[in-house]
Amino acid sequence: MKRHVLAALGLATAFAVPAHAEDPVRVGLLLPFSGVYAALGNDIEAGFDLGLETFAPDSGFEVIREDTEVKPPVALAKTRKLILQDKVDVIAGVVSSGVLGAVRDAVHGAGVPLIVANAGNDDATGSACSPWITRMSFSNGQVNRPMGQWLHDQGITRVFTLAPDYAGGRQMIGGFVEGFTAAGGEIAGQEFTPFQKTQDFGPYLAKAKASGAQAVYVFYAGSEAISFVKQYDSFGMKAELPLYGSGFLTSPLYVNAEGPAAAGVVTALHYVPTIDTEENRAFVTAFEARTGRLPSEYAVQGYDSARALVEAAATGARGRAGLGEALRQVQFTGPRGQTSIDPATNNIVQPIYVYETVQGDDGMTQKILAELPARPDAANGCEMAPVAN
Amino acid sequence: MTTDPGFWLLQTLNALQLSMLLFLLSIGLTVIFGLMHFVNLAHGALYAAGAYVAASVSAVAGFWAGLVLAPLAVAVIGVLLYGGLIRRMRRSGPMAQVLVTFGLIFVALDLTRLIWGDIALASAMPPLLEGRLSVLGIDYPLYRLFVIGLGLVVFAALAFVLGRTQIGAMIRAGVDNDAMAACLGINVERLFFIVFCLGCALAGLAGAVAAPLLSVSPDMGLQILIPTLIVIVIGGLGSLQGAIAGSLVYGFVQTFGAVLAPGLASVLIYGLLAAILVIRPTGLFPAKG
Amino acid sequence: MFRHTFLRYAVLALLAAAALLRALTAGYFGLEILAEILILAILVLALDMVAGFGGMVSLCHGALMGLGAYAYGVLCVHAGLAPLPALAGAIALTGAVAWAIGAICARAHGIFFIMATLAFGQMAYSWVFETPLLGGDDGLGGIPRPDLSLLGIDLSDSRSFVLFCLAATALAYGAAVLVLRSGLGRSLGGVMHNEQRMRALGLTVWRVKADVFGLSGMLAGLAGALAAMQVMYISPGLLAWTTSGEALVVVILGGLGTLVGPLVGAAAFVTLKHGLSGVTSHWHLVVGLILIAVVMSRANGLFGWLEARWGARLDRRLADATREDTPREATNDA
Repeated sequence: MKRHVLAALGLATAFAVPAHAEDPVRVGLLLPFSGVYAALGNDIEAGFDLGLETFAPDSGFEVIREDTEVKPPVALAKTRKLILQDKVDVIAGVVSSGVLGAVRDAVHGAGVPLIVANAGNDDATGSACSPWITRMSFSNGQVNRPMGQWLHDQGITRVFTLAPDYAGGRQMIGGFVEGFTAAGGEIAGQEFTPFQKTQDFGPYLAKAKASGAQAVYVFYAGSEAISFVKQYDSFGMKAELPLYGSGFLTSPLYVNAEGPAAAGVVTALHYVPTIDTEENRAFVTAFEARTGRLPSEYAVQGYDSARALVEAAATGARGRAGLGEALRQVQFTGPRGQTSIDPATNNIVQPIYVYETVQGDDGMTQKILAELPARPDAANGCEMAPVAN
Repeated sequence: MTTDPGFWLLQTLNALQLSMLLFLLSIGLTVIFGLMHFVNLAHGALYAAGAYVAASVSAVAGFWAGLVLAPLAVAVIGVLLYGGLIRRMRRSGPMAQVLVTFGLIFVALDLTRLIWGDIALASAMPPLLEGRLSVLGIDYPLYRLFVIGLGLVVFAALAFVLGRTQIGAMIRAGVDNDAMAACLGINVERLFFIVFCLGCALAGLAGAVAAPLLSVSPDMGLQILIPTLIVIVIGGLGSLQGAIAGSLVYGFVQTFGAVLAPGLASVLIYGLLAAILVIRPTGLFPAKG
Repeated sequence: MFRHTFLRYAVLALLAAAALLRALTAGYFGLEILAEILILAILVLALDMVAGFGGMVSLCHGALMGLGAYAYGVLCVHAGLAPLPALAGAIALTGAVAWAIGAICARAHGIFFIMATLAFGQMAYSWVFETPLLGGDDGLGGIPRPDLSLLGIDLSDSRSFVLFCLAATALAYGAAVLVLRSGLGRSLGGVMHNEQRMRALGLTVWRVKADVFGLSGMLAGLAGALAAMQVMYISPGLLAWTTSGEALVVVILGGLGTLVGPLVGAAAFVTLKHGLSGVTSHWHLVVGLILIAVVMSRANGLFGWLEARWGARLDRRLADATREDTPREATNDA
C-alpha cells in the first residue's frame, strides 16, 4: 500500500517513455501572486506568457500556475504538488531566495528542472548548485561586481554602502565591495538597515554624510527603494554625495513613483527598457501593447525563461531529464543582449548595463552610460554534475 | 563616533520627525481604546487608506487637496465601519472586537490591491515644502520640519480640546467611567461615534503626511501596525500624554539605536517594550489609575 | 476545567476517522494539506490551553513554534544529534523559553499581555532573522525526518509521515486534556475567573500561569519540530507575528476554550485557504469576511455554535449524571 516517494519518482523517470512531440510540455509556474512580491510575480508572469506566445505560437505548452505567497513552506507544498500530482516536466519562477532555498532540495531530489526567473541568491549557483536548477535571471554578486571597477574608473575611491539587513542585501553589497576593493577602492563605512522595518532612513543618511565618503552605493528594492530614493533627495545629498547602486533601486516598475527624486542616480542592472537593439524594441512594443506599461527586469526574466524553455523543447528534448539537459545548453540573443548558461554553475552569463535615471518626456527614463561585458561568476564551490537519473 | 554637534542635532530632528509621525497615528488608536476599550487592529489599514487617497488626489489636485481630503475620506470609512460593525459589537467584549478588526486587515489589504494594484505608488511633495531650511547651522528638509510642526499642532489642539472644552470633559468622563458618565446625562453612544471617526480621520491624516516621505504600498498598514501598538503600550493606553511619551520613546530609541548600536537596532525596541511591561504592566501614563 | 461532553466525543471521533481515512486514501497534495492541518492543530491546541482556559491570549505562539523548528533543525544539522533526541531537545527548550515568557508576563493582563507576548515573539523573530548561524533570511535546509525503520516505518514516505503527525496530534490532545484536568489546570481555571480570590486563597498565581504557559510551549515546540520535518527546511517567516495571529484566528473560528473547536477550526481554515487560493489570489479577502461573519454571529466559533445548539440537548438526553456540577477544587496547587 505504501508508496515511497523517492522510489516512485525513480520509477516515474525510469519508465518515462520518450513522449510524442505532440504531447504538451507541462510547466509549473511557481510565483508569488499575493504577499509583498505580488507585483514582481505579476510582471514575471506577464513576461512569461508573452514569451510563450511569441516563441511557441502553436502552444505545445501547458502552464499550471501556483501562488507561493512568498512563504517557503507554502512554496514547498506547491512544488511537491506540481511534481507529484500534476507531474510537470519543468518548473519556472521563484522570486524570493527563501523560497528557492526551500524548493531546492525538492527539485534536486526529484530530478525536475527548475528555471529560476528571479531569486538571485549566489549560493543557488554556488555551493548549493544543482544540475537541475538553471537560472535565467541574475545572481546578486553578478549585478554589482562589475560596478566596483566601473565606479573606480570614474575616479571615485571612497564609498559608503547601505543595504537592508538580509542575505540578499549582504550579497549585493558583498559583490560590489569585492569589485571595488579589487580595483583599489576603499570602503568608508557600511550599514545594514532592518529589513522592511525601516521607515526613516534619516539616521543612516546622516552617518553616510559624516563618513567622509565621495559617494554612496546602495541596494534597495520595492517600497524600501522608493522611500530611500525620496528621502535621499529630500536631504539634498545627491549634489555632494552622488548616489550609485544596484539597478533594482530605480527599476522601471516603480521609478515613476520615485519621480524627479531619482534623477541623476546611476545604477547597474542586467536589463533596462531603453537598450537600443532590435530584439529589445520588439519586446518592449509587445509588452507595452499587452500590459500598458514598460517592461521591467522582472518581465524580461519571465520572457527569457519562457524562451529558454521553448528553445530547449525545440531541440526535441522531452521529459524531465531531457529538458533539464537541454536547458543548460540554451543560448540566444534576447532583449538584454547575448545570453548563455555557464556550464560550470548553470547561472546565466549576460552583459551588465550602467544607466542613469533621467527625466524623460513622460516620466522617468533610463540613459545607458556603459555596457559592461558579460562575465561568468566564479564557481564558489559549485561542483556541477551532469543531469542523471 | 563623530563629535560634530550638527550631526547630533540632525539625528535629534530625525528622531522628532519619526516620533511625530507615530504620534499622529497612535493618538487616534489610543483614544479609541481609552473610551471604547478595544484595540482597533485595522488602524494601520486606515492609515494605508489615507495614504492611497492622498496619493490619488494629489496626482490630480495637488498635495494640499490630498492632505484635506484624505482624513475626510477615512472618516467616512470610519462612519461606515462604526455603523456597520463596531456599534453592533459594542456588547460582545473586547476580544470579539479585536478579531473583527483583524479580519478587516485582511479585507482592507486585498481591497487596496484590487483598487490600486500591487505596484507601489508615491505622492509628490508640495513645491512649497520641497527645499531645506537652515536650522542652527544644519540644512534640514522643510517637509520633515512640517511633519514635526504638524505633530506638535495636533498635540496642542487635542490637549486643548481634551483639557479645556466641554466635549473634552465629556470624553475624559467617558474614559474614566462610561457607565457613570451615561448616568450623568452624557450621550456616551454619540461620544463613541465622534471619537471613533476622529481617530479614523487622524489615521488618514497620518497616511497623507507619510505618503510623500515613504512609499504607498498595500502592506504599509501592516508594517506600521506593530510600531504603533508598541507606542501606545509603552505610553499607556488611552491617554494623550501616553501617546506623546510613547512616540518620543520609540522615535528616539529607533533613531539613536540605529546610530549607536546598529546591530541591535531591530531588537532594542522590543527589549525596551518587554522591560517596561515588566516594570509597569500598564505602561508609562495609563489613563486610569 | 475541561470536560468531555457527548458532542465533544462525537466530533473528536468524527475528526479522527476523517483524518485517518484521508491519510490512507489521499493523493500527494492531499497528504501535504493533511500534514499542514495536523501541525496547525497541535499549535492551536497549545494556544487554546492558555487562551481559552487561562485567559492568556498569546501572540507569541507562532514564534514558539518557530523556535521549536529551529531548535530541532540546529540540533540535527549543526550539533549532529539524531532526530529523536533532537525532537526531545526542541520540545524541552521551547517549553523552557515559554515558561520564562509566561513568568515574566504573568503580571500583565488583557491587551498588555497580548502586547508583551508580541514583543517577545518579535524579539525572537528579529534575532533568528539576523543570526547567520541560523541561515538568516535564507533559512536552514537539509533537515532530516526521524528514522523509525526499527519499527518498520519509513517516514520519508508522505503517508507514513502523515500518520506519524496524526499520532502526535492525538498525543498532544491527550496531554492537553491531562494538564487541564490536573490540579494545575483547575487552578488555572480559578485564576482566569477570579485572580484576586485565588491569590487570597494562597495560590502562587504567577507559578500557575508560567507552568501552563511552559507546557503549552512544549506543544508549540512539538508542532514546530514537526513543521521542520514536514518541509525539511525552515525560514524565519515561521516566527513572524502573523503566524501567531493566524493561529488565534483558527482558535476563534473553531471555538475558544473547547479544545475540540480549534481542531475543527484548523481543518476548516487550511481546507478553505487551499480551496480559495486555487481560485483567486485574493483569498485573504474571503477569509477576512468569513472571520468577521463568524465573530459577528456572536457564536463561540463553529464548534461553539454547534455546542450551543445541540450540546446541552444531547447531553440531557443521553447522560444526566455527567452534568452534575462538582465544586471547583480551588486550592489544589501545582
